[in-house]
Amino acid sequence: MTTPALTPDQVVLPRRPHRVAGAVGVFRQIIRRRTGLLGIGILVFFTFLALFPTILVGPLQTATTATGPRMAPPQPGYPLGTDELGRSILNLTVHGARISMVIGLLATVVTVFVGALVGIVAGFRGGRTDATLMRITDFFLVIPTFVLALILAPVITSLFGTEGEILGIRITLFVIVIVIGLTSWSSTARIIRSQTLSLKERAFVDRARVIGSSSRQMMLRHVLPNVTDLIVANTVLVFAGAVLTETTLSFIGLGDPFAPSWGQILNSAQEAGAPGSGAWWYLAPPGVCIVLVVLAFTLVGTVLDEILNPRLKGRR
Amino acid sequence: MSGPADPRRLVDAVEEADRALVDEDLITENDGSIRTVDPVAILRGPAADDPTAGAGRQRPLPKLADPAAPLLVVEDLKTYFDLDHGQVRAVDGVSFTLRNGEALGIAGESGCGKTTTALSLVRLLPSNGRIVEGSIRLFGIDLATKSENALRRYRWREISIVFQGAMNALNPVQRVRDQIAEPLEDRSSLSPKAARKRAGELLELVGIPKARGRAYPHELSGGMRQRAMIAMALACDPAIVIGDEPTTALDVMVQAQILELLEDLRHKLGLALILITHDLSVIAETCDRVLIMYAGKVAEEGPVEVVFRHPRHPYTQRLLGAFPNIATDRRSLEVIPGSPPDLRDPPPGCRFAPRCFAAMAVCSEVVPPETTFDGIRVACHLYHEGGDGTPVTTAPANAIGPTVVGVG
Amino acid sequence: MSGRYLLSKVGQAIVTIILLIILNFVLFRMMPGSPERILGRNPNVSAEAIAATRERWGLDKPVFPDQLVSYIIATANGDLGFSFVYRGLPVVDVLADRIWPTVILFGLGEIIAIILGVALGAYTGWKRGGLVDHLGNGASLVLYATPYFLIGMTLLLVFSVWLGWFPTYGMYQVGATYNGYFDQLTDFLSHLALPLATVALGLIGQYSIVMRSSIVETLGEEYITTARAKGILDRNVLRRHAMPNAMLPMATLIAINLGYVVAGAITVEVVFNWPGLGTLTVDALTARDYPVLQGIFVILSVSVVFANLIADLGYQFLDPRVKA
Repeated sequence: MTTPALTPDQVVLPRRPHRVAGAVGVFRQIIRRRTGLLGIGILVFFTFLALFPTILVGPLQTATTATGPRMAPPQPGYPLGTDELGRSILNLTVHGARISMVIGLLATVVTVFVGALVGIVAGFRGGRTDATLMRITDFFLVIPTFVLALILAPVITSLFGTEGEILGIRITLFVIVIVIGLTSWSSTARIIRSQTLSLKERAFVDRARVIGSSSRQMMLRHVLPNVTDLIVANTVLVFAGAVLTETTLSFIGLGDPFAPSWGQILNSAQEAGAPGSGAWWYLAPPGVCIVLVVLAFTLVGTVLDEILNPRLKGRR
Repeated sequence: MSGPADPRRLVDAVEEADRALVDEDLITENDGSIRTVDPVAILRGPAADDPTAGAGRQRPLPKLADPAAPLLVVEDLKTYFDLDHGQVRAVDGVSFTLRNGEALGIAGESGCGKTTTALSLVRLLPSNGRIVEGSIRLFGIDLATKSENALRRYRWREISIVFQGAMNALNPVQRVRDQIAEPLEDRSSLSPKAARKRAGELLELVGIPKARGRAYPHELSGGMRQRAMIAMALACDPAIVIGDEPTTALDVMVQAQILELLEDLRHKLGLALILITHDLSVIAETCDRVLIMYAGKVAEEGPVEVVFRHPRHPYTQRLLGAFPNIATDRRSLEVIPGSPPDLRDPPPGCRFAPRCFAAMAVCSEVVPPETTFDGIRVACHLYHEGGDGTPVTTAPANAIGPTVVGVG
Repeated sequence: MSGRYLLSKVGQAIVTIILLIILNFVLFRMMPGSPERILGRNPNVSAEAIAATRERWGLDKPVFPDQLVSYIIATANGDLGFSFVYRGLPVVDVLADRIWPTVILFGLGEIIAIILGVALGAYTGWKRGGLVDHLGNGASLVLYATPYFLIGMTLLLVFSVWLGWFPTYGMYQVGATYNGYFDQLTDFLSHLALPLATVALGLIGQYSIVMRSSIVETLGEEYITTARAKGILDRNVLRRHAMPNAMLPMATLIAINLGYVVAGAITVEVVFNWPGLGTLTVDALTARDYPVLQGIFVILSVSVVFANLIADLGYQFLDPRVKA
């Protein structure tokens, strides 16, 4: 850390001014591509469903409020058929949108937060810290985190108890959020770390010309904005993964039958023998929704990556 | 990396050259196993697998060849690239002739179309590029219209190409010797064993110990990789070798070795060479003739000594002026203001006009025709058919001058 | 490949496995209900089992380092504890029968997916554009977005229930008698078909997409132009120059993927009631049979670590640039 040859206002790191204008510009670029437009469209649709389920289909039906015939195929009054308790599949699916999306969102927040934190600290600090953190990260990349999630779930549940709510969502679902977060952060950490490293490389050269003190602050002020682009693109893809993971965990049985996400609906379907008895209406709606949402996130994430990563721009 | 030398000085130096070469690569890598080898014996001697190949010194001509035709005649070649928005006219009417054993240098700025011209000769354009017009006659055979299958006959066996080997021109997961042997097995039907043996001989030819053939490309230095590429290019005894910036990524010492190697091989084998580079000093050292390209068209063409000593086209003059001359007392480089035009929408008339100190009104309206003065071709309105062709170095009275502002 | 490199890689793998076991241990201690309490609640567990439990975990000794060490040693010796549900049966015995169905399902699935995914990816990458490319790309994307069990359920619905081509659940027909080995094999294969197809489909999407972009990137390299300039036939350029280089990222992907494919395989087993580790996991989860769960975790993790090690060392042969 040496030689102040320039005054602070001559520091040369590129900054990203006008973040809001930047975001709108990026959004426009996404819309301009067909795949991006499709992805955004699907997401808007499902967000709408997630925000106003009751308005669209009435309150979530339960075993006691179910009035329909059991395991009945689509018919007037029950456009998507009914489940083994007589609930309308349409009703369940629409309500499932909110639950699946919310859990996905929260899980993504945890994942990205932990991942970015580890990634930035590891990349920034370097040396022993970096090595240790990367060891841990690689550990989580190698082991089958899904099975780990299954083991963690009861452990965490026992920490919080089984009834009640935290932050407005039921414990069971909260546990899923934590579990996904704890097991999915590693790839985000790796990506963020390598970006931080390359930024640090660049910054070091300039840093030598900067007046020494508050270097850490300057790094954060310069490194963080440049890493944010990558974090955003990565977040979208993480969201896709989180929805998939939540679905799978719920399907296995960790979900909450009283707040059924799409995965949980499929779990009930499997338990009720839906595939074997040909009850396709029980499987298709939640299934199609899952695929659409994950696909949408993947498309948007890929498009974002193309836009924000100049290296990929030249390619077809 | 040191800068380029003044080509004019170098032309003089070549004529009374007494260079002491420090053959770094050879000295460090030589384990004493390098013999002096005769390229003709290797490539045209009786082959182990092919005893019918005589020990003739001349290479056989392809079946369809016209013995009376010059080696290579390119006429009005136009190669365009299709993009999402528009078409890039990378090569827009280039013609030249190459004779047996001749070395032609193609020079110009990046993006002037020299590499595209080279790739067009062997029809190795990327998928969005195509030859729109023109002919490429090798021994009188037009390669531009041949089908891909028919064309394959001529690739490597008549024309081969050496890329900037320092980068990725060699397959990183294949041994060097195997890459050299590949065309021998496939194209010249040698047995794998014989092909490997020939590959070893070729490596020795370029000054690499046979044993190093087992190495992978990343295990060789830049200079050695380039030599290996040359060995590979010679494998099928081609009539023409194209070198696309073969020495650009190398330092001056190694550069000199490579050029000397090319010279040597050229003379022994009677090889014709097309050397593409933006470095005029390289052309000055190695080539007989030079073709100056600008924005997809030919600006000037002729014998190296004449063009470099008495450049006619204003672009050539500025190019040569851009080289620092150690001998004279110049403080600054002559920079050509502006930058080359966008080839999706080139300016009408002469493409250099916006940057030309001698630009006249006619220059931005009419494409300058090519005129010839004892061996020199120039495409510039300053020179007319029937004129005496004296180089013009100051702006004429009716000149408008350059229309661009700022530094290029 | 130098011995030192080999040793260091193996060393790393061993360290990972030890960390794994430690993690397992920590989780185990955090489990609701400690071993003796659960065992104690079950009056049918023999006194020997309880005594063995106490000794195995050294429950009378301090947790760290004694209990940890004996746990590690016990696990390394293949002693994974006793199942809660199966009344004191050692976990290893519970697992033993369920391992090979999973290995077959998962192993064959990977192999098929690799072959088909690479072929499809290479073909579409080479051709780029055209119907097969767009269809393939679209299909791959959709497959990638579909959870494995959903693929399974769909296949079950279409091919088993509606078309009746394949049986629905299980590995063999329940209560069947066979006229010889071939008969049994046919029954087995017909039950294997759909779950196998599910696992393969789930992976093909990912592999073909990655392979395609890898080929596209490789084809832009200069050595491909060199190869074509040499007059080498297109199919040989693809085979000898493009593929070996394009396969490198694939190899890495396959290795990294192993941890994730496990999740998929588990759910597929559930859908088809395939008697492997997957269904065992879910059963153990529901029954709160934690030793079995942890035993599965250890087995699966060690397998994945081991597979990654093999992949790592094997990568050497693919890419000579990786210096040993």
